[in-house]
Amino acid sequence: MTVRFRCVDIGKRYGGLAALQGINLELEAGIVHGLIGPNGAGKSTFIDVVSGRSRGSGQVFLDGRDITRMPPSERRRLGVSRSFQRTSIFLGLTIREQLYLAAHGAGGGHTGELVEMLGLGSVLDERAEDVSYGQQRLVDLALALVGNPVVLLLDEPAAGLSVAESQVLASHLEDIAARWNVAVLLVEHDMDVVFRICHVLTVLASGKWLVSGPPAQLRNDPAVIRAYFGGTA
Amino acid sequence: MLINALNGFVYGSLLFVLSSGLVLIYGLRRVVNFSHGALYMLGAYIGYAVAVRFGFLAGVVVAALALGLLGVVLDLVIFRQLSARNPLVTVIVTFGVMLILEDFVRTVWGTQNYTIDPPAVLSGVVQIAGAPFPVYRLFIVAASAAMAAGLGSWLRWGRTGLFVRAASFDAKVAAMCGVRTSVIGPMVVGLGAAFAGVSGIIAAPFLSLNPSMGSEILVLCFVVSVVGGLGSFSGAFLSAMLLGQVQAFGTVYTPELASLLPFLLMSLMLVFRPQGIAGMKVSS
Amino acid sequence: MKAMFATRAEAITGLIVALAVIMASVAVEAWGTRILVSLLSQAVIVSFLAFAIGFLARTSNLVSFGHAAPFGLGAYGTAWVLSNGSPLPPELGLLLVVPAVAGVFFLVGLVVSRLEGIAFGMLTLALGQGFFVAASKFRGLTGGADGRIIDLPRRLFGLRADVVQSPYGMFVIGLAILALVYLALRAFEATHTGRLAAAIRENDERVRFLGYRSRALKAAVFALSAAIAALGGVLYALYQGFVSPEILHWSYSGSALIMSILGGTSLLWGPIAGAFAFFFLRQELSALTTHWLALVGATLVVVTVAWPSGLSGGIAALLSRLGLRTRQGAAP
Repeated sequence: MTVRFRCVDIGKRYGGLAALQGINLELEAGIVHGLIGPNGAGKSTFIDVVSGRSRGSGQVFLDGRDITRMPPSERRRLGVSRSFQRTSIFLGLTIREQLYLAAHGAGGGHTGELVEMLGLGSVLDERAEDVSYGQQRLVDLALALVGNPVVLLLDEPAAGLSVAESQVLASHLEDIAARWNVAVLLVEHDMDVVFRICHVLTVLASGKWLVSGPPAQLRNDPAVIRAYFGGTA
Repeated sequence: MLINALNGFVYGSLLFVLSSGLVLIYGLRRVVNFSHGALYMLGAYIGYAVAVRFGFLAGVVVAALALGLLGVVLDLVIFRQLSARNPLVTVIVTFGVMLILEDFVRTVWGTQNYTIDPPAVLSGVVQIAGAPFPVYRLFIVAASAAMAAGLGSWLRWGRTGLFVRAASFDAKVAAMCGVRTSVIGPMVVGLGAAFAGVSGIIAAPFLSLNPSMGSEILVLCFVVSVVGGLGSFSGAFLSAMLLGQVQAFGTVYTPELASLLPFLLMSLMLVFRPQGIAGMKVSS
Repeated sequence: MKAMFATRAEAITGLIVALAVIMASVAVEAWGTRILVSLLSQAVIVSFLAFAIGFLARTSNLVSFGHAAPFGLGAYGTAWVLSNGSPLPPELGLLLVVPAVAGVFFLVGLVVSRLEGIAFGMLTLALGQGFFVAASKFRGLTGGADGRIIDLPRRLFGLRADVVQSPYGMFVIGLAILALVYLALRAFEATHTGRLAAAIRENDERVRFLGYRSRALKAAVFALSAAIAALGGVLYALYQGFVSPEILHWSYSGSALIMSILGGTSLLWGPIAGAFAFFFLRQELSALTTHWLALVGATLVVVTVAWPSGLSGGIAALLSRLGLRTRQGAAP
């Protein structure tokens, strides 16, 4: 198993508050790595820091190369791609136009297969603002998937989707990780999705690493249960 | 040399008081008041008109009241009505207000220069380091300091000042906590406008009156805001002082370039530190 | 060029515009009074500036309060290349003015592209005034506050100088160039770069996360807008035979801004319509009163508050109700 993406001692402070402290995490090709934890644990903050969206401490390596100081545009061209928890797409452009821009920005890539897989074929020439919320979430995801990325950082891709839509999404992600050999980091609240497709989980609580391991094992871990359902703050 | 620095200090104090009004209005309404320079000019002209008849003090008082009232009207009629829309819309409207006010001043007072003498009690010179320095300019510094201190303590320690700070931070939440934002709004904008008007009449004996004084000083106010960091009083203070010194020494040593120095300063700031001295973000 | 006729709609638009220009020229020649033609020629020139402001607002969602700067630079540049001091032959110099101004404003754009809305407005206002002050002060270069007379050579690009400076001549020339610029911008909006510019306007952050460096493109759009303004400046200088700092003053920028707001940015040609409408409005008003500047300000207030989408907004709404899709610019 090749480690593609390595995060070392990731931290983020807001004034006196440490939103993240000393998080270490590795992503391997073809593996879906879930990042879970109660609200406020710092999961989205983690993705923001390692994707270059916000400044934090620590280091990020892609295939051994230090990309900590690299701006997001350059990371994308190297194959590090992310999606957003709050849908971040181009409402005034058609689906076709934005996928085309994404492909061009990533340096190439076939959008046809992606469009078919995500079921966006029928709305390709609609403006993004005119399609359903669920489809907009898929567009957000599609923009991240275009161009065969090497590392995929997904911030709650199922947020706002129905149970059925989440299940379909989950199987797509499983498929993508396996077939394209992508290293996937999945932040998710939807435990059905998490336990279905993640090969390994990391649990955060209050900005600190709690435990990592295979999902089945962590399900009954007392520390995890306590983090979610109360105990020490 | 010292005299230059003092002159710069005088000019800087004026800029600071004027910019404080801009910061105040921006803080609460999230709008950069493009008519701020015109308010300054109107205060100067109104103050002048009253001062030649009733004395300088009367001029200052009337300028403050008149502009304060105008500020209240501006808030009620424009800023509040447009608060739900893109702030840029309000900015464009204040630009239109500026054109109207400039035309008004030109119509009533014409396009020639006016000068006004400082009041007798403040005229004359003092000896500083062996060179004469007009007493009135020291008054400008003192008056500006008093106004700034007054505003600062009111915001810091006064009850209404607390409400203003709260509403400037988050208007909706402040309203939910019982802050009467419908009253705070006109009050703050009126105060900001009054500050502009008073700095206008106070500056008049120092800088004289002409129809382009509004636009000239507005541009400098913008430079102060960009360099200091929009929304910050301390940033405005530092950059106003800096700009005052730049102007004072610039007019002496590089008279040709002097009027362009503020723009140079602003450009440099934008290249190297777009959030200004105080670090308030005006950029993406 | 390929994108321009990508769809039949584009080709038809091109034909309509060409026809309109020809018809307008013929109509004006046949029925236009001296006063009307003079007005129209001036309106055509100013509409370049309004068009430039509107294009920037529409494409990048940025409102410039100092666009008289590239306009004035275009005019002063023309004065310089046609003067004895210029090392270049006049026709070559003339062709280089617009690219030169565009280059300057590309560099400016790289610096200011970080700024959003209000900060951008403040900066452009200050910058515009900076150029005004410079033009007023540096007498040696610009003739100072008195301005500078321009010596047109007897022939320019095969046209006689007196044709260029005649109202009807400038009307036709200006209108033709305006039409070409319009068609070129329409084509631009359909290109990959044009769509990217729209994407940046909508969601700058995501564009960066898609692998693009948005700064250079934002600067390029700014430079393109400056080029259009500069082109207007060149025509202004050729027509008037004279330049003075007043075309760099912010009231000049302000008037042009009002024209583009009046016309609206929902349709690409909105600002042009706004310029013509404003020009005629101002003519009527200044016959009535000397306070036309205040009325300009009042118009700005009223239009911005009550009718933000302007003339073209109304027309765009009408077209969409008829089922025709228009390429929308930034919403006000």
